[in-house]
Amino acid sequence: MIRFIIAAVFIVVGIFIFAAAAFGVFKFKYVLNRMHVAAKCDSLGALLILIGCMILGGFSFMTLKLLLILLILWVTSPVAAHLIVKAEVKTQNEDESDEYEVIGK
Amino acid sequence: MSNSNFNQDKKPNAHSKTPWKAFAGWVNGEYPEDTFEKPELYQVPEQAHGAHHQEEPEQPAPAVPEQDAIQAGQGHFLLKEKFTRFYKVYIVLSVIIGCCVVGVLAFAVCSLPPYGYAENPVNNEVSEKYLEDGLADTGATNAVAGMILDYRAFDTFGESTVLFVAVAAVMMLMKRSMNKKDEEGERLVAHETAIDKKDQNLILKYGAMILVPFIILFGVYVILNGHISPGGGFSGGAMIGGGLMLYALAFGHEKISKVITYRAFTVTTGCALLTYAGCKAYSFYTGANHLGGDIPKGIAGAIISGGFILPLNICVGITVAFTMYGFYALFSKGEL
Repeated sequence: MIRFIIAAVFIVVGIFIFAAAAFGVFKFKYVLNRMHVAAKCDSLGALLILIGCMILGGFSFMTLKLLLILLILWVTSPVAAHLIVKAEVKTQNEDESDEYEVIGK
Repeated sequence: MSNSNFNQDKKPNAHSKTPWKAFAGWVNGEYPEDTFEKPELYQVPEQAHGAHHQEEPEQPAPAVPEQDAIQAGQGHFLLKEKFTRFYKVYIVLSVIIGCCVVGVLAFAVCSLPPYGYAENPVNNEVSEKYLEDGLADTGATNAVAGMILDYRAFDTFGESTVLFVAVAAVMMLMKRSMNKKDEEGERLVAHETAIDKKDQNLILKYGAMILVPFIILFGVYVILNGHISPGGGFSGGAMIGGGLMLYALAFGHEKISKVITYRAFTVTTGCALLTYAGCKAYSFYTGANHLGGDIPKGIAGAIISGGFILPLNICVGITVAFTMYGFYALFSKGEL
């Protein structure tokens, strides 16, 4: 029971962080701000949710698999975010106000 | 415009009627009238004026004021307005389409046959036959692999051929010719190669250094275990193709094109398809459906088992991997 509660707390916090990331992506107007929100919250949310799953499942072979999922997410997600941001920085317009343009203003 | 402008919108819009509208406006990025400095975003660029006057100095005074406003550089603003108007249509349309999809799905769920009835289509004899006799007939623990590579192997051969034809068509369209020099294309490729060389991209390189071996190894594992565990030629081939693409992205096109040349590409893919065709022809020759075929099935669950399923999986995997990498290389560089 206590294990379930701890796992639930981890998963709920992780879901909250993902929700905050989704909200922030819609809230911010500039590409780099948006990428900041998306990339940071992705890794932290994945960490918390997978830790919750590990606690929920108990120690078994599944824990190792979850650890591997976490590892590959932590290697791939920041690299991908870095490359997207780098592409944005390299192709930046001279007129910076163009970059802020978001439809539905 | 700096970030500080976007931090000024913390307090809700005082002119809105309801708190909900104010909150929705805040989510959509509407700013209160008194704090938002509007003109910066909509300012007419200076060079647009200059270009206009340089290009058409002899043009008389404009007859249509709106047209003149567009030509004088406010086209940006007008376009934005137009786009915003369409954006509202998009919102309404997306809501309508979403409701329609939800309704159709709910209706379909209502008319599904009840769960557990004997005469449901799920329980008809085809799937029963596959599930009951599949292991004995094909020797594959993975029933899906037994289906697509034994009972319906001819269909899968058609799918692999479709991939091969697709990559051949892309090759005809995109491959840069050896005889006819395309100077614009050459210049673009040289430009991109220079950018790649100048940009070290260490993060991507180290990330790829860690990931690529594991991705390709996992793809090989999925292909070789296609008849034992979930997976098979298509998914494993897609993994290997993705790994090859990541390698080409990180370490440049020259390194990988030393290994996967045009000749290697065509010969390997063609050989894989011909092997597939040969296996299938043999199984047609010996009884058309493997029942009573003289291929030993082996012990179910071992790597070497399942008759033709393992070699067919390997052939499909090679075709899929090379097709994926071929699409990437042809579309990005125009050569293999």
